[in-house]
Amino acid sequence: MFEPARQIFRFRGLLATLTSRDVKARYRGSLLGFVWSLINPLLLLGVYAFVFGFVFRPRFEGVEPYALYLICGLFPWLWASTSLLEGSMSFLTNAGLLRKAVFPVELLPTVSVASNLVHLVLALPILAGALLVGHLLGDPVGGWAALLMPLVMALQLPMLVGAALGLAALNVHFKDVRDLVANLLTLLFFMTPILYPLDAIPHPGLWWVVRLNPFTPFTLAYQQTLFFGVVPDAELWLQMVLVAALSWLAGSWLFGRLRETLVEAA
Amino acid sequence: MTDGVSRDSASKDCVSRDGAAQDGAAKGGATIRVEAVSKLYRRMAPGAHLKTLKSALLEGSLTRGLSAAESIAALDGIDFTVHRGEAFGLIGGNGCGKSTLLKLVAGILKPTAGRVTVNGRVAALIELGAGFHPEISGRENVFINGAVLGLTRRQVEARFDSIVAFSGLADFIDEPVKNYSSGMYVRLGFAVAVHTDPDVLLVDEVLAVGDAAFAHKCLRRIEEMLAVGRTLLFVSHDLDLVEKLCDRAVWLDGGRQRMVGPPRRVVDAYRAAVAEAEGEAHRLDKDARQTADGDGRNERRWGSRQAQIRAVRVLAGGAERYHLASGDGAVFELDVAAAEPLDDFVFGVMISTPRGETVWGTNTDLEDYSPGRLAGEATVRLSCPELRLAPGEYLLDVAVHSREGVAYDYWSHALAFTVTARRRAAGVYLPRHGWEFAGGVEWKRDGAADASGKATADDRGQEERGE
Repeated sequence: MFEPARQIFRFRGLLATLTSRDVKARYRGSLLGFVWSLINPLLLLGVYAFVFGFVFRPRFEGVEPYALYLICGLFPWLWASTSLLEGSMSFLTNAGLLRKAVFPVELLPTVSVASNLVHLVLALPILAGALLVGHLLGDPVGGWAALLMPLVMALQLPMLVGAALGLAALNVHFKDVRDLVANLLTLLFFMTPILYPLDAIPHPGLWWVVRLNPFTPFTLAYQQTLFFGVVPDAELWLQMVLVAALSWLAGSWLFGRLRETLVEAA
Repeated sequence: MTDGVSRDSASKDCVSRDGAAQDGAAKGGATIRVEAVSKLYRRMAPGAHLKTLKSALLEGSLTRGLSAAESIAALDGIDFTVHRGEAFGLIGGNGCGKSTLLKLVAGILKPTAGRVTVNGRVAALIELGAGFHPEISGRENVFINGAVLGLTRRQVEARFDSIVAFSGLADFIDEPVKNYSSGMYVRLGFAVAVHTDPDVLLVDEVLAVGDAAFAHKCLRRIEEMLAVGRTLLFVSHDLDLVEKLCDRAVWLDGGRQRMVGPPRRVVDAYRAAVAEAEGEAHRLDKDARQTADGDGRNERRWGSRQAQIRAVRVLAGGAERYHLASGDGAVFELDVAAAEPLDDFVFGVMISTPRGETVWGTNTDLEDYSPGRLAGEATVRLSCPELRLAPGEYLLDVAVHSREGVAYDYWSHALAFTVTARRRAAGVYLPRHGWEFAGGVEWKRDGAADASGKATADDRGQEERGE
């Protein structure tokens, strides 16, 4: 269970090198380079602000301004979903490295999660700026509770790395995993209270489905710390710890079982 | 990090990599020990993925409990020891298990059975530039590749200038690697790999990629490393290089170890087996051609068939052979049958290269045999006590025709045969020869002594034929 964690910690230098390789390679050759990490979320924010501010105008209780509510859940979601998509492919996209070099393979899914974390962190100033503007314009958004957001990210990290490890190992044997993950993530996006507040779900059965989605506690915590400016209660923290622990255990168990066979199957 | 990825990550039960602690004890002893190693691969039938996954999940292995039909033995019962400071060659045909063995020693793969023990830090030059990212510069890739190979950032910084100088890519080091030619890519990869200061260097056919100048540079570097007591495990199809560079060699054949010993002996045995196999292929080819020609439809064969060539053979040492050592005697034998008695006939034989150059041709008319009578069946033998052809492949044309040149049966490319020799030569002729020097000429190594005997062409080099 702890073997992957030990390996990741031991090779943290290589992890940093590979993560920076990924991040650098992402914008290499583009004119604006890292500025895209700011422009992308800014454009996304603009689009959502326009669509939901002027076109759709959803009437949900207590989530005004809606575009701000939306991005507080959406930006972390993009981190999670892109990490899992790229992470689950990481053994296959790096099959050359896997087959031809002696290499702590658990780094590869971890690099996917880490490099997408860098993109999230680069987008945080946009999020903070938008919340600040909203606050100054008199909306009751933001607050000191936002300082707890890194803690939520820290809890989601083992959840994502664990899941990415397990999915990546499965994907080596089973190329279907990639499409399954892609579709499942689309489904989960709508089953997470990002586009709507949890309490706007009319049907109690559906409410439970959304509430039990493992991504929901994290989304709620991001929204509470960032948008509502409140400290999540103990129950929510507990749920996050539980989800993170379970995901880590399941993922690293699966990875551990498949580890010896990865090089040959990749 | 500093003491190497290989040793750290591969410390599983069956592959142990002992660190500096045991280095002292191992001095002069075994650096690489391969003990009764086998490696099975699972056959991947289409749609078998669920089974594979199940086996991987439940057994932690892809091959446990598989029947012989479901698996392929890439290596079987491999057993040898490489001593510290030794250069050890791995030779054999494609798919014989050389690369698998190298990966087992590197710790990339685990043996299905047996043990692989390696003392010291390993650098595997199996794929050069592991982890190179095409979009980013050579400079940054040196750091990434160095990290993948187990160097710290500081170590790469300290060696960076030397790496770039070795690669000869100073002008391109800030270009993205995707703009590199494949040769440049390999040069940079090799430069990083040899700067990881390994105790054991695993080299898989990488010298074949760069240009000649770089290959020499790499070879010099490898020789330098050998001189300071590093150990080399070397896979190559360049048998001359294996002979020159290695202290010992192993010949793998279909995953089995055919022979371990001095490179000269192992290479000779391997060459003989390859030539034998080629000769066998020539024989099968010829037999198939003769059967197919029975009905006379062959654009390489023409004539009135008043006389017909029933069969063609090459005999050497009393037996039919299609693989000869240069200098061996050979007999070209034709079975001929005349449909009706003929009083005008010439038998001809011609040897040519596959490129169409005539090597030698003769016929009974040129050699002043006056035809009397050819009736019924006859056998014609042309024997050469010493056929001094240069190593290579040759084709044989045979014919029966009239003195005017009208073909009764002209058969072009009736068969092919292979000639081998210890030493290489240009052209098609390999005479008996020897060098003599007088005055201010000195040699580091005596070529004749190396080739044994006073002349290279005397050296038949096939003593172990058939092993």
